[in-house]
Amino acid sequence: MKKGKITMIITIGIACFALVTVMMMQFKVVNETDITAIENMQETELKTELANWKTKYDEINAQYEEITQKIEEYKNDEKSNNEASKLVQEELEQTNTLLGLTDVHGEGIVITLKSGEDVTAISADDLLIMVNALKFAGAEAISINDERIINTTDIVDILDGSFIKINGQRILEPYVIKVIGNQSHMESAVTGNGGKVQELQTLGHTATIEKGDDIKIEKYNGEIETKYIE
Amino acid sequence: MTNKKIIAIILGVMCFALSLGVVVQVRTIKSTDSTIGQNQEANALRDEILKYKERYDNRFKELETAEKTLEQERQEATKNNSELEQAQQKITEGNKITGMTEVTGPGVTITLTDGKGIATSTLNPSQLIVHDLDVLSVVNELINAGAEAISINDQRWVLTTAISCRGNTIDINEQRIGAPFVIKAIGLPEYLSGLERVGGYLEYMKQDGVSVKLEKSNNITIPKYSGVINFEYLKNVEE
Repeated sequence: MKKGKITMIITIGIACFALVTVMMMQFKVVNETDITAIENMQETELKTELANWKTKYDEINAQYEEITQKIEEYKNDEKSNNEASKLVQEELEQTNTLLGLTDVHGEGIVITLKSGEDVTAISADDLLIMVNALKFAGAEAISINDERIINTTDIVDILDGSFIKINGQRILEPYVIKVIGNQSHMESAVTGNGGKVQELQTLGHTATIEKGDDIKIEKYNGEIETKYIE
Repeated sequence: MTNKKIIAIILGVMCFALSLGVVVQVRTIKSTDSTIGQNQEANALRDEILKYKERYDNRFKELETAEKTLEQERQEATKNNSELEQAQQKITEGNKITGMTEVTGPGVTITLTDGKGIATSTLNPSQLIVHDLDVLSVVNELINAGAEAISINDQRWVLTTAISCRGNTIDINEQRIGAPFVIKAIGLPEYLSGLERVGGYLEYMKQDGVSVKLEKSNNITIPKYSGVINFEYLKNVEE
């Protein structure tokens, strides 16, 4: 009697253990499949996604190699007692370019906008959407009426749209948007169906695009100050 | 005898529950498998994507370490020259502003979730959804309120960041993200929380039925940019 009971308990114990183990395994599999958002993608989408990750990897890899090389150069300079000034200056120039603190030039387009007479004036949102579309198409530098668009640029309507402020500076019509980047990419980003230039024209505003082989964009002329980031 | 019966019943119920659990799980996996296993080529592509993702993640971690080493080397190399030291400080500071390093500080976290309300005749169902332009407007208002660093679902807002719509999701820094959108910003929390003011964009979104949550915090961490900014067409004007 006692022996039979023990056997039964052991058997049941093993059965329960086996079941729980299977459940755990299954939970894990379900979790893992959930991590990837790619499971429902179609083949063409997957190809784009793969190309995307390849590019991202290549870019980050190139950056890694560049940084590693810089580290070596600093180390070599120390050994040979060279002044590190050239290296530091180079790095500072790169940083300043990213900050928008250097005058730049290159191929691109110039968009000129003027509000139509009997329609609601061009708004800050119109400019914001235009800038976003240009960035999406790969714009490398943008200015509106010589106000450089940097990563902390805001474009806002003041006094219910009576004028627009960019970087805290009041700007007036006509709005001259200078863009450096691939000319045809920049142009197609704002023209065609759904393009902002097209849309503004349809609404009755004046919007023109000019291509340029050497467009100059001035540096941001304010101070970039930070108080809170560490 | 009654004792035995009770044990038998309890065991029976337990076994039933466990079996049920297993069946549910097996079925779940089967259903995910059916989408995964459509064809071999797609599976091969998925494997390849995961492989590159992993390679990217590993390289990215190495890059972060290398950048810290570079900063130490730069500090070491410039410490005996006040002019160079100043330049090195500008680089370090600049990297924080441009999004090339992780930053921390006080600020706010704004969470935007698609509305769950039922679309009525007065409420367009599309209004319940968070759109690319909503996120763009919130970022613009945050900058206007003095934000010094911003991220959207951990994608750092940098010079070249654009937001675009792609069906139910949006693309930021060429990365696809979906709702809920968690926007973090570092700056003076009192100013940044001013986005909740009457007539502000957040209120406008709330009226549309989108769920909006704003939380102040003294310690917000915003990651570094996940990509690299390369210029192909732009050159600095030689002075």
